[in-house]
Amino acid sequence: MEDHGHDNRGDQNHEHADGQDNGVLYVGIDLGTSRSAISTSSGIRKVVESYVGWPVDMVARKVLKHDIVIGEEALKLRPMLDMHRPLENGLIKEGSEKDAEAVRQLMKHLILLAGVERRGDSETQVRAVVGVPAEALRVNKQQLRGALTGIVDSLMIVTEPFAVAYGLEALLHSLIIDIGAGTADFCVMNGRYPTDEDQRTLNTAGDSIDEILVKTVSEKHPETQLSEHMVREWKEAHSFVGEPPERVVVKAPVRGKPTKIDITEELRAACESLIAPVGETMIDLIARVEPEYQARIRNNVILSGGTALTRGLADRLQSILKEYGGGRVKVVDDPIFVGSDGGLAIATDAPDSDWERLSSN
Amino acid sequence: MAELTRTKQRLLQEAVEENVDVITGRSRATRERAKISFLVRSARIFFLLTVPIAIFTTSYVVAKVAGGRIEDLPTASSAADLTGRRQEIPARPVSAEPMVAVAAPQLIDPAVFPVAVRKVILDPGHGGTNLGTTDASGLVEKELTLDIAHRLRRLLEEGAFRVEMTREMDAELSLERRALIANEKQGDIFVSIHVNWLVTRQVRGVETYFLGATDDPYLSALAARENQGSGYSLADLRGLIEEVYANARMGESRQLAKSVQRSLYRSLRELNPGLQDRGVKTAPFGVLTRTGMPAILAEVACLSNHEEVQLLMTPEYRQFIAEALYDGIYAYANGLNQRSQIGS
Repeated sequence: MEDHGHDNRGDQNHEHADGQDNGVLYVGIDLGTSRSAISTSSGIRKVVESYVGWPVDMVARKVLKHDIVIGEEALKLRPMLDMHRPLENGLIKEGSEKDAEAVRQLMKHLILLAGVERRGDSETQVRAVVGVPAEALRVNKQQLRGALTGIVDSLMIVTEPFAVAYGLEALLHSLIIDIGAGTADFCVMNGRYPTDEDQRTLNTAGDSIDEILVKTVSEKHPETQLSEHMVREWKEAHSFVGEPPERVVVKAPVRGKPTKIDITEELRAACESLIAPVGETMIDLIARVEPEYQARIRNNVILSGGTALTRGLADRLQSILKEYGGGRVKVVDDPIFVGSDGGLAIATDAPDSDWERLSSN
Repeated sequence: MAELTRTKQRLLQEAVEENVDVITGRSRATRERAKISFLVRSARIFFLLTVPIAIFTTSYVVAKVAGGRIEDLPTASSAADLTGRRQEIPARPVSAEPMVAVAAPQLIDPAVFPVAVRKVILDPGHGGTNLGTTDASGLVEKELTLDIAHRLRRLLEEGAFRVEMTREMDAELSLERRALIANEKQGDIFVSIHVNWLVTRQVRGVETYFLGATDDPYLSALAARENQGSGYSLADLRGLIEEVYANARMGESRQLAKSVQRSLYRSLRELNPGLQDRGVKTAPFGVLTRTGMPAILAEVACLSNHEEVQLLMTPEYRQFIAEALYDGIYAYANGLNQRSQIGS
């Protein structure tokens, strides 16, 4: 009972003619706190919910008929599962073997979705580029590398905004802001491989909107029964900053009865909580660039990641830039897959000799 | 498009190296050091091989033009000894016939001999009864300079440089003694660390001095490119060609001062936003006149400024100063072969 992910084969941006030439499959993976996306050189693009669940007991095991449930199915069946969302703030939760195992299972699942049965059962060699938060520490990368041993044949870990920049070929005078669920990652691209100085990670991202929303809606409507999944769905359907196109009215159970509640103001406040930290970090990074390049970067701010879909966010960030001489913030066409597509571009561009050095065996 | 491809290749290479660092447990700094060491070693080998050949060939041509006999000239092997024994510079072949076809000897452009930095002499300013500048809070220049020098020494040694210090503790040294130590230790560069005191106490800034009244006119980008990474240390070069050395020293001092000043200002202003770039200056500091290698004196902070005093009280800021000095020295050493860019 494994989720087969959302197939986006038709939306493939990077069609690689070589596909699995020479028995090699290249994959780019955006391993996200909320969702994980994979793009492959064989033209497959899938996204799955980053949830892994194990049956809570023998009864659940019998009902589910599976030892493990992953993705959207896991979300649906969560009462019967010991649920793990293994990536906290975009990284494997520290000290949790179960979460490390969950990441392994999630990666296995993604590779399966990419059409590779099992490593060892197939001749196909998998070379993967995985995106992580900009400020991921070396120990985080080692942990991830350890968790993926045996899942892929060669592994390259890059920062998520770098993968985005590479995929968009925005390598010179650009600022990538990748806002996901767990983290908001910033990276100034100056034609060089980003250093610590060029990158920032904020833990204020999609999840923090959910937390605020749960709190404020609960305060306003104390009788409603809320779950984080319910709130997340509301946010994904209606998130906005500034003026909404219409009032946001959702249904929530009140003493078991579905009841309509207006969450417009609460949602606005929750979404707008991103603006100050994201805006300040954006300005801070731009201010650190050589003065003669600042205008170019201001005019090339690129917003990606699921939370980038928040209506009005790009415009609000652009209005902040006005105070600093003006600029342009644009949302990428495909915020969900832009990271995995970038990872795939890196994977296919890297020469064989480099992949051999990165062998995970 | 070709530029984009090159950029991508470069970025990919960096990404791969970073991953290899994670796999092997190697730090990025170690990788950089290994790269520099390799380049320096390669350059030394290249220089040791090519210079004797060049000298031999030149001598051969001179001899031919002058009508001298080849048998009178040093052999390639004896020429090779020149690199190790400075006194054995071969005399120009003397001929009874006039050397009508040979132009008068020209001073050699020092840019033709890009040099390498192997040994750094650190000079913590003041010491003993010579306190230097002081502040009411109890900060004393001689202690600050020693603290920063020790921090810088650790960084440089981690960076594969050899380091000697004119003083390692609170000791009183004359300027002559400092210069003598530097010369005895055959340092390739000399960095004297000081803390400033300005009458206008609102001002805080960094400035770097070197000795020399004229600009270096010898930066020939072409020759530098042709001879890049010679790996030949200035101490060796001094022994070989004194005249070239004298000019090289001035030019190199200026380059070193520029590199250190740039790094100090750019780094420190991050923690010290009010910092002013007081620039690279020349001045007849005694310690700079007597040192026989490129030498600078860096005023890394101002004890006359209250905000800077507060910063100097923290070990973090002193470490930051040391790192900025390191970056400047490293950039100078690393950029010797790209002087046209540094000097712009």
